[in-house]
Amino acid sequence: MLDFGVRFALTVSQIGVVMVAVLLTVAALTLLERKVLSWMQDRMGPMEVGPYGILQPVADGLKLFFKEDIIPAGANRVMFMMAPVLSLVPALIGFAVIPFGPNWTVEIFDVEFKPFIISDINIGILYILAFTSIGAYGIILGGWSSNSKYSLLGGLRAAAQLISYELNVGLSIVGVLLLTGSLSMVAITEAQAGGFWNWYFFAFPFPQAIAFGVFIISAVAETNRVPFDLPEAESELVAGFFTEYSGMRFAFFFLAEYANMILVSCVATVLFFGGWQAPFTFLQGTGSFMWVSGIFWFAFKVSAFLFFFFWIRATLPRLRYDQLMRFGWKVLLPIAIGNIVLTAIFAYIFPGS
Amino acid sequence: MKIKEWLKTLTFYEILLGMKITMSHLLRYKPITIQYPHEKKPLPQNYRGMLALLKYDDETEKCVGCDLCEAICPSRVIRVVSSEVPGEPTKRYSKEYYMDMTRCLFCGLCVQACPVDALGMTREFEWAVYDKRNLQLDKQQLLAIGDRAFPVREKRIEFQHPNVAHFNVAFQSIPQKES
Repeated sequence: MLDFGVRFALTVSQIGVVMVAVLLTVAALTLLERKVLSWMQDRMGPMEVGPYGILQPVADGLKLFFKEDIIPAGANRVMFMMAPVLSLVPALIGFAVIPFGPNWTVEIFDVEFKPFIISDINIGILYILAFTSIGAYGIILGGWSSNSKYSLLGGLRAAAQLISYELNVGLSIVGVLLLTGSLSMVAITEAQAGGFWNWYFFAFPFPQAIAFGVFIISAVAETNRVPFDLPEAESELVAGFFTEYSGMRFAFFFLAEYANMILVSCVATVLFFGGWQAPFTFLQGTGSFMWVSGIFWFAFKVSAFLFFFFWIRATLPRLRYDQLMRFGWKVLLPIAIGNIVLTAIFAYIFPGS
Repeated sequence: MKIKEWLKTLTFYEILLGMKITMSHLLRYKPITIQYPHEKKPLPQNYRGMLALLKYDDETEKCVGCDLCEAICPSRVIRVVSSEVPGEPTKRYSKEYYMDMTRCLFCGLCVQACPVDALGMTREFEWAVYDKRNLQLDKQQLLAIGDRAFPVREKRIEFQHPNVAHFNVAFQSIPQKES
């Protein structure tokens, strides 16, 4: 019983730390995105709240928290209230299998405890894919239950887009799984140890650079961001699937979008860029402080991806809908399948490398 | 030629070009916007802002109630109720003077039409109000705007016969509005 209690307390505190870290990152991202975007567009971005606008997320949060919560007439109340939760929870739940640092085991009160991974389950990547697909339900239901044509169109677009690009995400990571021989995020990270030439982006038998390209494009599409933000295209659909939402429910969709962004960046880091591994082994450090450099490198790579998301948002215009579908099915899908075939051949020729 | 275009498509050449441009703007960050309420752009010399009624330096109104501004105004902003100066039957003044600034298009025709330079255009432009009735100004308000916008007043020159209404057309060219 004590054993269970300690395990429970440790896990809950670990989940709390990760949740707080993710939500703080989301808050920082909302500001950073606006800042980076405006700097790239020769503007200043938010400057009013606090010095250089650094308290803007706090002001936004307070505003959204105190806003009136409106449920439109004719909306399906249950679905309407459930949709934001249904899109936020899967986005946050995916962080359970992300290895943030070295795969260490610590014993506290005779309980084995991994401080940097909430749970190392052996189908980690499948788990993340499964839950991100559930997140699509939140968007679709939110669009459908609002009783508004803009929301419905946004939700339908989201459904088609997410299904198309979910497929490409799934297929583009198969190469990595072939090379690793495991679905566990920890095993994938540890297989890339020892210098950046072992990361699967560059790895020997068949570099997964093309797969990474497919993955990152599909990831942008899956998180509904520019240039694939058709479900929430402002110029056509007001705000897309969350047109009718206000207050905290709107904030939930907003949080979900940014949490998804972070999750996708984490997955890209773990699968293609070696997770917490440093680019050179001497940068990794040794001994009991190795976890500091591990977490640093992980955070560094994730932030690089997040910056990349901002960057393409500042650069690219939105795709037309038929172009989006054609690109997903006729370009990315064949590339992903071809990558699987080639990786399989190379993995067969050079076994055990 | 075809191969070159193929390569460009495969390597996302155009997208990379665009990303290079945005990155160069980020690295050479020089905002072209200004923080408006805190810092303001210098207005051009001939800026046409809020209208105002002016006074002479002896605190008398310039307006002689001739109605020319009302006649020329294309948006029918101005309404003048003209009447005689009590006791001086040859002089007239504007008993009431109304401006509906919600309709004004700041063309400046009334200022040019005025024979005694009684109207002026200030450099004020921050006239956003919550109630649009606040933009229907009467004579006192217009004079107050003139007082605060043109502190240096024009001198009254009495060279006419006291029984003749004075139209000081020559005043048009005297630069007195310093602001």
